[in-house]
Amino acid sequence: MTDASRLISGETVAATTNETSQLARRLKEALTNPGLVAAIPIGLLFVFGFLGPLALVLAFSVMPASSFSLAQAPTFENYAAIFSNSYYISFGISLFLAAATVAILLLVCYPLAVALVRVFGKKGALLTLLITAPLFVADNLRLTGWMLFFVKGGVLSGTLAYFGVEMDSILYTMGATLFGLVYIYLPFMLFPMVLGVSMVPPQVREAAFDLGATRFQILKEIDIPLAMPGILMGALMCFILTAGAITEAKVMGGTAVVTIAQDIQKEFTFAQNWPRGSALSVVMILLAGGLSLALLKRIDLDTIFGRK
Amino acid sequence: MTATSPADIRRPILQLRGVDKLFNDFPAVDRINLDIHEGEFFTIVGPSGSGKTTMVRMLVGMDKPTNGDILLRGKRINDLPANKRPTCMVFQSLALFPHRSVGQNIEFPLKIRGVSAEERKARAMELMAQLRLPESYYRKSVMQCSGGERQRVALARALAFDPDILFFDEPLSALDYRLRKLLEKELKDIHRATGKTFVYITHSLEEAMVMSDRIGVMNKGRFVQIGTPREIYGSPQTRFVSEFMGEVNVIDVSRREDGTVVDMLTGSAYATPSVAGAFETGTLVVRPEDMRFLADGAEADNRLSGVICNEYLLGSRVQYQVRVGEARILLVEKLRDQNPEGDSDGAVTIGWNSKDSMLFPANRLQG
Amino acid sequence: MNDFSRTARYLYGSLVALLLLFMYLPMLTIALASLSRSKYFRFPIPAWSTNWYSEVFQSLSIRDFFWTSLIIAVLVALVSTVLAFFGALAFARYRWKGRKLYQKLLLLPILFPQAVLGLALLLWFTALGIETSWRSAVFAHVVWIAPITTLVIAIPVYGFDPSVEEAAYDLGATRWQVMREVTLPLLAPGILSGFVSAFLLSWANFPLSMFSTGADQTIPEWISAKVQSGYTPQVPAVGTLMMAGAGLILAAGYTAAAFQSHRRRRLVAEGH
Repeated sequence: MTDASRLISGETVAATTNETSQLARRLKEALTNPGLVAAIPIGLLFVFGFLGPLALVLAFSVMPASSFSLAQAPTFENYAAIFSNSYYISFGISLFLAAATVAILLLVCYPLAVALVRVFGKKGALLTLLITAPLFVADNLRLTGWMLFFVKGGVLSGTLAYFGVEMDSILYTMGATLFGLVYIYLPFMLFPMVLGVSMVPPQVREAAFDLGATRFQILKEIDIPLAMPGILMGALMCFILTAGAITEAKVMGGTAVVTIAQDIQKEFTFAQNWPRGSALSVVMILLAGGLSLALLKRIDLDTIFGRK
Repeated sequence: MTATSPADIRRPILQLRGVDKLFNDFPAVDRINLDIHEGEFFTIVGPSGSGKTTMVRMLVGMDKPTNGDILLRGKRINDLPANKRPTCMVFQSLALFPHRSVGQNIEFPLKIRGVSAEERKARAMELMAQLRLPESYYRKSVMQCSGGERQRVALARALAFDPDILFFDEPLSALDYRLRKLLEKELKDIHRATGKTFVYITHSLEEAMVMSDRIGVMNKGRFVQIGTPREIYGSPQTRFVSEFMGEVNVIDVSRREDGTVVDMLTGSAYATPSVAGAFETGTLVVRPEDMRFLADGAEADNRLSGVICNEYLLGSRVQYQVRVGEARILLVEKLRDQNPEGDSDGAVTIGWNSKDSMLFPANRLQG
Repeated sequence: MNDFSRTARYLYGSLVALLLLFMYLPMLTIALASLSRSKYFRFPIPAWSTNWYSEVFQSLSIRDFFWTSLIIAVLVALVSTVLAFFGALAFARYRWKGRKLYQKLLLLPILFPQAVLGLALLLWFTALGIETSWRSAVFAHVVWIAPITTLVIAIPVYGFDPSVEEAAYDLGATRWQVMREVTLPLLAPGILSGFVSAFLLSWANFPLSMFSTGADQTIPEWISAKVQSGYTPQVPAVGTLMMAGAGLILAAGYTAAAFQSHRRRRLVAEGH
C-alpha cells in the first residue's frame, strides 16, 4: 500500500519495525491518520479557546468571593450564594424566554421550511439565502431598527396615528423582548429545519399517501420523524442561544427584563466578583453543555450536513 | 402460459380512455386507450423517457391526467387521490420508511386504517412468512436489510394494504442478475397465489417475458404493441418492438419496381415475407438466433458468404460477427457446442429463411 | 401529491413574502432613520437630510472603529478559513476513529451563549496576562467563527468524490500536488463561501467584541454604546453603510457562485 492510498482511505498503518516502542508506534499511527492530522489545528483552538477558558471559569467558581487569584482554598460559598440570592428570577426569565422563543419558532419555521423546500424548488435556495442574510448584520443594529419601529412616535405608532389610532409603545416589556428574540434567532431555526425537511425523500411520502395515509398522518408518521434531526438541531441551538441572550433584553426589554447573562456580566464587570460570576457561568455551561451533548447523541451529523 | 389472450374471457378492472399527460405542451403520455383485466399480470415495457412512469403515476393517483378518463371497474377515478384509491404501488426506490422497523413498515397501512395492534402484528407475521422473511426480522431496522429483503418488505407492505391492483415501478432494476431472476419468479408465484391484478413497469422486455400474461410496449408516450409474450416475441409489429427485444440484425432495404427487395447498402436481393400494400423503403429484421451457418448443400431462402471477424461468448450461446461484402456486418448466434462450419481463415456461408425474418415498410414505421 | 394547488402556492408564497418583510423591516427602518434631519426619530419623517452621512464620513473616531472592525474581520476570515478547510476535511472527508466525537465537540462553541463565552475568554486573557486589544478580539472571534466556517465548507466536502483524488494519485501526483491541483480547485467555491461568511460574521459581531477588544472599539460596539448613552442619527447612517457593504459582498459572492455553476453546466452541456 502506498502512502497516497493510505492517506485516501484514512487507514492507519501498523509499524513495520519491532524496535519502535509502543508509544512511538502509536504516535506514528496518529500522525499518518489524515483525519486526525487535519483535525489538529482546530482541535488546538478548541482546547485553548474554549475548553481552557471554561475550565478557568470552573476553577474560579470555587474561589472565595471577590478574589482575583486561583491560589486559595476551594469553597462552595459562591454556589450557596447563588441559591440564597434572587438569581432564580433571572434564571426563570431566561429559561421562560428560551422555551417560548423555541415554541414560537417551531410553529413558524416548519411551514416556512416546507414552503422553501417543496413549493419553491430551485428558487427556495435563493429565498433561504435572503432570509438568513440578516445574520450578517449586527444583532444590535437590527434590534435598534425594531426599537425605532416600535418607539413612541416611531414607524408603528406614527402610521397608526395617521389613521387616527393612538397607541402606547410596546417597548421595554417581556413581550417586546420575546419579539426581539424570535426575530434574531429565526434564521438559526429555519436553516437546520430546511436541511431537515429536505432530508425527507419525496417517494417515501408518496408511498405513505399511496398506502392510504391522510396528509395529517403523513405529517405525523413520516414528515416530522424524518425531519427530526434538523428540527432538534434548530431547537437546541435556539434554546441555548436565547437562554444566554443579553442584547435583545437590553434593547427591547430595557430595565423591565433582566436575564441571567446580564447578571453574569454584572458580576464580572461592575461588581468585580469573578468567583460569583464564574459560579453563575458554570450553571449556564452545564445547561448548554448538558443539553447539547444529550441531544447531539441522538443526531447523526452526517445525515444532516451530508445529504446529496 | 395461457395460449389465448384473456381479453375475451375476463372483465376489465382498469380502463384508460384517451388519456394524455402534457408537460409544457409535451405529451409524456399521448392519447392512450387501454383495458387491464381482472387478475392479470400486465407489464408495461419501454425505454427510459417512453412515458411508462408518468403513466403509472396517473394510474395510482400521484398525478392527474391532462385529458381523458381513467375508469376503475367502470367508475371514473381521475380525481380520486392516491390515498383514497384501492390501488398501491411498489416504488423503484422501494420508499421504505427508514425510521421504522420491518414490522412497522408492513403494518403501516393497517395502522392508518386503525386496525388493532394484535391484529396488525398477526397479519404482518403472516405476510412475512408468505414472503419468507424470518420472524426475527419483525423488529429489525429496514436500513439493516439486504437488497432482496427490502424488496420483500416493500411487497409485504403493499400486500398488507390489500389493494385491488398492485403496481410495480421497476422495483428490481437495482438488484444483481441472479437475485433479480429469483425475485421475478417469486413475484409470479405471488401473483398466482393472491389472484390480484398486477401492473408491472420495466425497461427490460426479458423481465416482462418471464412474468406477464400480457405486455404493452410503449414508445414516445404511446403503446406500439399490446399482446401476450408469445405474440410480442413471435410477431413484433414494428421495427421498434423487434429491436427493443435485444440485439437484432437490422437491414435497410428498398423495393424495386419488379417487387424484389434489395439491400440498400450492398445491393443484394433478399427473399422476404410478403407485406400488404406498396412501399419504397423499409427495414428487414432478422434475429441472430434465426441466422444459421450453412454447410455445403444446406438449404436456406437467403444465402450470403462472409468472414467471421469477432466471436463473443454469451453463456450457453456464442455470437459471431460476420462481415458480408465490404460494409455489412451481421450477427449470428448458435449453441456453444456447435462449431461454425467454415474454413480455417474464417470464411463462412450464412443464411436464413424468409419466414424467420420481419419486414417493416418505412411508411408504416413507428418509433 | 407534490403538485401544490394554486391556493396552497399562493398561501405559501404570501407566507414567505411576509417573512421577508419581517426580516428586512428593521433594516428599512434604519435606512429611513438615517435620512431624518432632526436628531430624534419621528415617523412620518418631517424633514429629510443626508447630513448625518457627511458627519459620519468626517468623524475620525468612526474611521478608527471602521479600520479596527475591518482588520479584525479580515484576519478572522483568513485564520478561520485555513483552520476550517482542514477541519472540514476531518469532519466530512476522512473516515477516522474519533470523527463522530470530533463532529460533536466542534459544534459546542457554536451551541454556546456568546456573551458567556466572551466573559470566559476575558477571564482567560486576564489570567494569562494578555492585555485585551483588537488582537485578542481576533482570537475570540475565531473560537466561535472557525467552527461555523468548518460547517460551511463541510457541506461541499460531503459532495466531493474521493475517486477524483485517487485518480490523481494513480496518475503519479504527490500529496501536495493533489491538494493543489485537485482538492483545492474543486472545493474553491465552498472555501470562498466559508471565507465570506467568516468575514461577515466577524464584521457584525457584538457580544464577543464587547468583552475582548479592550480599549479598541469595533463599529457594532460603538453602535451599542451610542444607543445606550445618546442616540444620534449617525447610528442609522453607519448602520445603513454597514448593511449596504454586507449586501454588496453577499451579492457579489452569490453572483460569482451562480456564474461558476452556470459555466460548469455549460461546459458539461458542450462536452456531450
